[in-house]
Amino acid sequence: MHRVLLPFEFFEPKTIEEAVHLLDTGNAKVMAGGVDLVLKMRLRLISPEYVISLLKVPGLDYIEGNPAGLRLGALATIRQVELSQVVQKNWTILYDAVRQIASVQVKTMGTMVGNLCVATPASDISPALYVLGAKVKIAGVNYEKVIPIENFFVAVGNTILESNEIVTDILIPSLSPGARGAFMKLAKTAEDIAKVNTAVMVTITDNICTEAKIALGSVAPTPIRVTGAEELLTGQKLDGAHIARAAEAAAEAVKPITDIRSSAGYRKEMVSVLVKDALLKATSSGRV
Amino acid sequence: MVNGKLYEIIIEPRMLLVDVLRERMGLTGTKYACGTGDCGACTVLVDGKPILSCLTLAVTVRDKNILTIEGIADGNTLHPLQQAFIDNGAVQCGFCIPGMVLSAKALLEENPLPTRNEIQAGLAGNLCRCTGYVKVIDAVQAAAETAGKGGKI
Amino acid sequence: MVQKFSSVGKRLPRPDAASKVMGAAQYGADVSLPGMLIGRILRSPYPHAKIVKIDTSKAKKLAGVEAIITFEDVPKLPFTRSVMAEGFPAVAYEGENLDQYILSDKARYMGDWIAAVAAVDNYVAEEALDLIEVEYQPLPAVFDPEEAMKPGAPLVHEGYENNIAGKIEHPFSCGDVEKAFKESDYVVEFSGQNSRQKQAHLELDVAVAQWDTQGRVTIWSPCQNPHLAKKALARRVFDIGEGAVRWITPTVGGGFGARMSFGVEPVCAMLAKVTGKPVKVVVTREEDFAGWNSRTEQRQTIKIGVKKEGTIHAIKQKILSDSGAYLSHSGSITAVNMQSALGLFRSPNISGEAKIVYTNNPTSSGMRGYGNPEGAFILQQAIDMAAEKVGMDPVAFRLKNIKGVGEPSMWIPVALDSCNLEQCIKLAAEKIGWKKKWGGWGKKKEGRMRSGIGMSIMTHASGAGGFLLEHSHAIIKLNEDGTAHLTVSPCEMGQGILGALSQIAAEATGLRYEDIHVITGDTDITLFDIGSHASRSTYVIGNAVVNAGQKVRQMILERAAKKLKVFADKLDMREGRVYVQGAPEKGLGVAEISHDAIYDYGTTGQHIMAVGSFQSVSHCPNFQAGFAEIEVDTETGIIKVIKYILAHDIGRAINPQNVEGQLQGGTAQGLGYALYEDLVIDKITGNTLSDSFATYKIPSSLDIPEIEVILVEEPASSGPFGAKGVGEPGMVNVAPSIANALYDAIGVRINSLPITPEKVLSALKSKK
Repeated sequence: MHRVLLPFEFFEPKTIEEAVHLLDTGNAKVMAGGVDLVLKMRLRLISPEYVISLLKVPGLDYIEGNPAGLRLGALATIRQVELSQVVQKNWTILYDAVRQIASVQVKTMGTMVGNLCVATPASDISPALYVLGAKVKIAGVNYEKVIPIENFFVAVGNTILESNEIVTDILIPSLSPGARGAFMKLAKTAEDIAKVNTAVMVTITDNICTEAKIALGSVAPTPIRVTGAEELLTGQKLDGAHIARAAEAAAEAVKPITDIRSSAGYRKEMVSVLVKDALLKATSSGRV
Repeated sequence: MVNGKLYEIIIEPRMLLVDVLRERMGLTGTKYACGTGDCGACTVLVDGKPILSCLTLAVTVRDKNILTIEGIADGNTLHPLQQAFIDNGAVQCGFCIPGMVLSAKALLEENPLPTRNEIQAGLAGNLCRCTGYVKVIDAVQAAAETAGKGGKI
Repeated sequence: MVQKFSSVGKRLPRPDAASKVMGAAQYGADVSLPGMLIGRILRSPYPHAKIVKIDTSKAKKLAGVEAIITFEDVPKLPFTRSVMAEGFPAVAYEGENLDQYILSDKARYMGDWIAAVAAVDNYVAEEALDLIEVEYQPLPAVFDPEEAMKPGAPLVHEGYENNIAGKIEHPFSCGDVEKAFKESDYVVEFSGQNSRQKQAHLELDVAVAQWDTQGRVTIWSPCQNPHLAKKALARRVFDIGEGAVRWITPTVGGGFGARMSFGVEPVCAMLAKVTGKPVKVVVTREEDFAGWNSRTEQRQTIKIGVKKEGTIHAIKQKILSDSGAYLSHSGSITAVNMQSALGLFRSPNISGEAKIVYTNNPTSSGMRGYGNPEGAFILQQAIDMAAEKVGMDPVAFRLKNIKGVGEPSMWIPVALDSCNLEQCIKLAAEKIGWKKKWGGWGKKKEGRMRSGIGMSIMTHASGAGGFLLEHSHAIIKLNEDGTAHLTVSPCEMGQGILGALSQIAAEATGLRYEDIHVITGDTDITLFDIGSHASRSTYVIGNAVVNAGQKVRQMILERAAKKLKVFADKLDMREGRVYVQGAPEKGLGVAEISHDAIYDYGTTGQHIMAVGSFQSVSHCPNFQAGFAEIEVDTETGIIKVIKYILAHDIGRAINPQNVEGQLQGGTAQGLGYALYEDLVIDKITGNTLSDSFATYKIPSSLDIPEIEVILVEEPASSGPFGAKGVGEPGMVNVAPSIANALYDAIGVRINSLPITPEKVLSALKSKK
């Protein structure tokens, strides 16, 4: 049981290129807010020899919203996103998701990108980003690539990132005018990690659902989309019966685990309740 | 810069801000209670924003303005929040108080007249085992009202 | 006649609040001595294992390591971790097993203390811990008390057959319960268990120790009973005289019963002895969770026999307690469970029996309420079941069966002389709107969201007068400037006792509240007292302060009488001024009297001071009724507490603000106990899985419902200005009233804590 960290060398590059090159050297970890990294180091779950801080790279904390979409920089904190008028008004489902993270301090220190890179299946922002059709931009040694968020997570605590790659942006497209979304979370206490969380987004034109996205967290090693359930909604009127059927299908599609927070059976059942509640909220509130 | 004073200390990158404040600067007002970032007892303000010093490498805030509980009184005059905590019975064992007061200060600076719900949300990262939060929220509300009448937060 | 108090009853700020809000209050971890070393403890990775070999050679070579100790180095004097036990009469002390050494001879739980290091700083100490090589021989382990009693189960301690650490028969059993059950018109039985709730005080356990050249040791450590701890450390751990130990209690960051046991102090004292330097031992929160202090898990069955007119005819309780690897408080907390549960209601036939069993789980001990919350969760549901059988409203059923003044108290069956439980029940029922909201038994409710209302009642001690060492002493001495020093030995752990005792002192002497300065927390200076627990401090220590105050007041009046040339009985004193009754302009300030007494060059020089004493012979029970209004989501099983109202029979609230704070804080802990807090131990590996605030959830500011506190103030004649205890009771009624409200909402009873949505949903399904 340790209270202090093991020694390491600390670097403060001034550019992303420099950072990526430093990460290339071996037992190195990149650090932004550090909330998760410092804790894992204290618990001896990881012991990097080199810690590469991004905090001295200028201009990485932008939140840029315009008709084309929303861009979040690598150092944009969760709190900044929560306080952003642009996000609250135009990407409300993302605002709802970050608001469910209770601790102001954690939101102040933690970055959006950092939350993704920790890759906990219970992340609150991941399901929202899934249904928003987000992409992440990754920088490596002399290259960049953009991948859909759904390809980003590989397993519990594992992303597709190589050890010498950094996420530089989260890119979120604008929403179509008929889009309606909702985020919901079930947790033991107000500031606990989710037992189950979900984000839904449906596009309704002339009373018919033209597109449906349902994302779930905490029920699989990574956040997931339940396409079977989504298909039950596409081309349909979103009345109670269709919503209920889609929610059931979502529950059938998942195989959650039993852990310290909840049981597999409860989680599975809650998927149907939460998806139903989220779809009802999305279709009734008119908000995105 | 801590509480408006410039300190020059040699540290290792691995040193946590909470340990540097407590052991190297003698500022023991900031408390260590969990080390996982869950309880908020180690909260200090960095450039006005509340952060967890138990999960902060001291080196990352070396050129910032750090405010600890020792720095918010004005000489011998208590900060309105400190006075409100005393007057409203919000202090029991006191271990959560430094972090709680600083989180409340950050809250009121951003939102000078919060509702009770907003106060609860603003303090959600600070656990208290003694008070049940009732009088803590009363105190923050009282301080907000005092500041609204011309006092500064 | 309405008494106009000058201090008592006022919402005065506590004397310790200012230093706490300034960050200036000194807690154990803030203590720093020149040359101080840091001590850390090596813990067993196995729940049950022989220690074959410990190789400290590599660790010893590390620069900055000053000492490494193991079982080999400690005195072979076994002791009990319960410091409280030193206050027990012999008959009770016999039940305390001396099953502990400073470091363990065998690993008995995952986390047991195997070795300890003292080094120049924490960095070196931890590195040294990592270099200590221990060869273990893992043994089969047992984690369930039923399994532990079976023949062939692994033996946790030698000499305790079937791992039975203790057996208790309820000392106030009466009548013949089996016969009475046959005579009853209805019999209900309810079984269940509580959880291992963690005290989760925010200040981690810590100790600093320093020996001097004369073989005296000074300990700085948060402790609820420093005089008892001093005795235990001296006589039991090191076999030295009580005078050789000085126990200093720094500011305490929460107690809740955890500071009634030895924490790291014996290890710390040992490291300090071996190194000859001051040592501070610190722990991590993970160590605290997987350690030596939590509420004891008790499995109970309560059986109640009732007559059709609604009177209780028999009540029987059976308890099986999981002590964990070492006994600590598990025996005494089980005994108190029986006393609270079996003594609350009137019944001509009562019986209770308990077994306490060793397992390879972490040590459990005592927590706020000390057996009362554990029993109430089962008892109050059984009571509701009985009320339902008879067809009576839960409020009416309880009113019919509670005891009143003149009937035997729940603890030692002395006659109750102060009991306002009936008023508490009626006031709280009225406030929450019971008549409107409780719709009767068996009403089927519809809809996804269903409301429910439930209640619970309790009684608790104000100290254990007549049983424990309940004599207390206070010193008041006047200073030249009219201020006074009050020396008392409670443990201020946030409850506000220093403020309350100052208010009592001011009232009793006639001085001003702000002129009272409290001296406490040093056993070299304070007089013997068993400390703060059992909600005793205001009642017992308060009465000693009254006694000291009255003596000092009399001395002041007599001196003033000479100066003013009137008889002393014609004088009065208030807010630091002595004056002639009926002619208040004729008087003197206390400063003048006190100063002139000291600077008397004649023959009557005097330092006005007095020692006051009080021997408590009564538990002077306090009482409380709690009502919960909830809403249950039948699709998720989630319980939302809309409102919680309690009415407490406090006698007199010395400081209503502090009393409310205790009841609100107790309610929050009760809420966590009821719904969220679950110390999960892996039943295969013995690993404590809930080892942080991320996995062990205590309520945050967003989780607290609307709480309303009603104080019923009918002064108890034996209390200081009529006051009774209140420190623990806030915890007791929350879980049972929520459980009873759940039954009202959806017709299911949950018999284990915490009441999780998973359990609620599962119960709902079984019902269908």
